[in-house]
Amino acid sequence: MKLKWTQFFSLRLVLPLMLAALLVGAGTCQAFDFLDDASYEEFALPNDPLEPLNRVIFTFNDIVYIWVLNPVATGYSKVVPADIRGCVANFFHNLGEPVRSANCLLQGRFRDSGRALGRFFINTVFGVFGLADPASNEFRLAPVRASFGETLSVWGVGDGFYLVVPFMGPSTLRDFSGSMVDIVAVTTYYPWNDDLKTATSVYTVNTVNRTSLHLGEYERLKAMSFDPYVAFRNGYFQMRERRVDFFELDE
Amino acid sequence: MAQNFPCSFRALLFSFAFISMLCQPLSALAVQDPIEQLRPFLQKVTETLNDPELYTLSRKEQSEILVELVRERFDFYEMSRRVLGPHWRNIDAEEREQFVTLFTQLLQYAYIDRIDDYSGQEVEFVGQRIRGDRAEVQTILVDRDRSYNVSYIMHLQEDRWMAYDIVAEGVSLVRNYMEQFREIIRRHGYIGLIRKLEERIDELDGGKREAT
Repeated sequence: MKLKWTQFFSLRLVLPLMLAALLVGAGTCQAFDFLDDASYEEFALPNDPLEPLNRVIFTFNDIVYIWVLNPVATGYSKVVPADIRGCVANFFHNLGEPVRSANCLLQGRFRDSGRALGRFFINTVFGVFGLADPASNEFRLAPVRASFGETLSVWGVGDGFYLVVPFMGPSTLRDFSGSMVDIVAVTTYYPWNDDLKTATSVYTVNTVNRTSLHLGEYERLKAMSFDPYVAFRNGYFQMRERRVDFFELDE
Repeated sequence: MAQNFPCSFRALLFSFAFISMLCQPLSALAVQDPIEQLRPFLQKVTETLNDPELYTLSRKEQSEILVELVRERFDFYEMSRRVLGPHWRNIDAEEREQFVTLFTQLLQYAYIDRIDDYSGQEVEFVGQRIRGDRAEVQTILVDRDRSYNVSYIMHLQEDRWMAYDIVAEGVSLVRNYMEQFREIIRRHGYIGLIRKLEERIDELDGGKREAT
């Protein structure tokens, strides 16, 4: 069988990255406890050996955001009403459910895996190909978060180091390789995985649509910070570590 | 039996009195739940932001009203202490006071810009967890298109739960500023941090003066 461009891309780029991440060592991914005073003072600075390069890419992404993405998304948000943009976001989210389900399976989260798959069937059938989200609204099946980066973390792969990816933003060596795997996995069953042009346009629509739902957030966070590079780096790591346990109350 | 009754009755009375004596300090300690204290406060903030009269005032007056309101439930001293982390121990009382004033001012100016973003968002309470004199109250801020998870980290001061950190979508304000400040102190020293804070406040204050 001839390799599709996505699979070719995955082999050339992802495998070496994953190997590198494995070599860098096991990760310590611990949820931060806000009620514990000691953990406020004792958090480690992130491993960021590429800081000078990362800062350059951060500035590049900033320019792309301010001069390209933000104006396009703002225009788009004026033409397309918010509820339709919500539907587009739902559609893309729904397409990712099988990959999420598989990741849960690989992480041993069997219940979540079933929930993601259940959401996929309900939203595809009753939500008109995932445009609506009856699984959350009618069936009380809250969205599941799972990525291959997380799976690698569960398997003991360390973060490697902090990485700012052009056009994508904050990541780490492990999470970036993980998201490449997720993207490739999704494209294997996308209806438009044949040619690069279509795939790129679909990716662009998804990005613009997503940005249109978060307009102003980037600017506000940037305006409130002293060193935006450090602020976003810290925000990225914090967001990742807290994700799981928001609704797990130990009352 | 007839003699037994008053005796046991007395014993009962005595033990009741004893127990209630024991309980007294406990009942004095029983304070309201953090969630019950935060609820009316956030309601008051929402009411103030919904009041059309607020928007007829100048920026400076708006900011003063809101800061007074926020001080009711926010402990800026504790917030500043935590933001500085281990470095707090290296500065004396006077420097601490100066830092608290500057950091409070910074937050005041940074957040006053957000007043215009307010468009009827509502707060839903998810739950709380309490450990000793620390508590986390979890809420959801419901906006038109989406909702945000917002937690308030609080500590008990006498009988009041006071917030010293806000965690929005998993990102703690204190920890975010802490890492930024640590980098600045590492590169430019504590004096450098103070200078940067003053510069930023001047900048924001100048911006406000032009806007009003």
